[in-house]
Amino acid sequence: MGIALLMLVGGVGVGIFGSLLGLGGGLLIVPLLTLGFGLPLRESIGVSLVCVIVTSGASAGVFLERRVANLRLGMVLELFTAMGALLGGLIAFLLDERLLAGLFAALMAYVAITMARPKPQAAAAEPAGGKAAELRAAGPPGADEEDGFIARLSGDDYTVRNLVPGFGGSIVAGVASALLGIGGGLVKVPVLHLLMGVPLRVATATSNLMIGITASTSAWIYLIRGGIDPYATGPTAIGVFVGATIGSRLAHRVDVRALRLLFTAVLLYTAYEMARRALGLS
Amino acid sequence: MEQGSSTVVRAAGLEGRIARILRVGTYGAVTLIAIGVVAILATGRSPLDAAPPLEPGRLVGDLVALRPEAFLWLGLIAVLATPAVRVGVSVVGFWRAGDRAMATVAILVLVVILLGVVIGIAGPSPGTAAV
Repeated sequence: MGIALLMLVGGVGVGIFGSLLGLGGGLLIVPLLTLGFGLPLRESIGVSLVCVIVTSGASAGVFLERRVANLRLGMVLELFTAMGALLGGLIAFLLDERLLAGLFAALMAYVAITMARPKPQAAAAEPAGGKAAELRAAGPPGADEEDGFIARLSGDDYTVRNLVPGFGGSIVAGVASALLGIGGGLVKVPVLHLLMGVPLRVATATSNLMIGITASTSAWIYLIRGGIDPYATGPTAIGVFVGATIGSRLAHRVDVRALRLLFTAVLLYTAYEMARRALGLS
Repeated sequence: MEQGSSTVVRAAGLEGRIARILRVGTYGAVTLIAIGVVAILATGRSPLDAAPPLEPGRLVGDLVALRPEAFLWLGLIAVLATPAVRVGVSVVGFWRAGDRAMATVAILVLVVILLGVVIGIAGPSPGTAAV
């Protein structure tokens, strides 16, 4: 009973932390379970995949209702994140756990460095009435097939660009999600925003919408192959869900600057522990 | 233009339907998992104990017998199935809106998810995975 409660409370903490920092819980669930509770790494990744689907599900619905998430663009990119996740789900069962730990340590160190640096200015979105509006006004889809398709994927005030490189980035996001048990927003948001020209708010919401398909594709493989333990998943998933709900309500009342520093320190420490595990020192 | 605006209105309706599916699926799954967690706490089991494997044929019987793992397995399946149901509804929605290209993309997404399930079933057992 004590361990179940500890997992529940740990999940709540991870959910609040992740939600306040806009990172989701995925990055912290695996260290919580492996370093905190001694679960095997692959099993922790399976649990983490379930947690990120649960936490993204409810918020994705809200983003869709508020018309922030781009359903069409998300659907097209999901095809590629799902293909990447399929590939990652296959590779995950072939890789040595020490290599997975090394990959995780590298990811955490990268995020820690990114968080420690000052945030760059968000790229300006194309003003209303941009190329997307022109393309739509030019006529029905099919007049120029490619432009028509891009116009249907674009929003009222922005035009999607670099579609094919975006497909490549989505495959990378899918592989990373399946290998490391994360939602993949760390890759998808920059791909959508910086590469494809989608405004940051829409990119974040669309990435959130895509998490369900990305993570569930590989989670099915983990579940069927015995890589998801329901006893460990239950308390963690409920904790993370409750924590993320609390975090989203606290978000506008909390100064996250101090929290970012604390988070950077936590990430660096867990990266160090994961690197030790990768090197067989722990 | 009228046909175009009708497509947009239908697509907007689709977004509302998908939002409802995501909400119902997520809260339904969380409820099932929460029942399983309460049962774990009540029976004093440890999350670190090995849980019985998923046996779909026994799921209904285990639910009736109020076994914690049955609620947890069903909740986990609901979590993983909700995104696929969302895509299935999108196929119908895009098709009805006359958007054959998006309907085809959504069908392909379903095919990839199904491939994951097939690969999971056909692949090596966990015991043969690299450790």
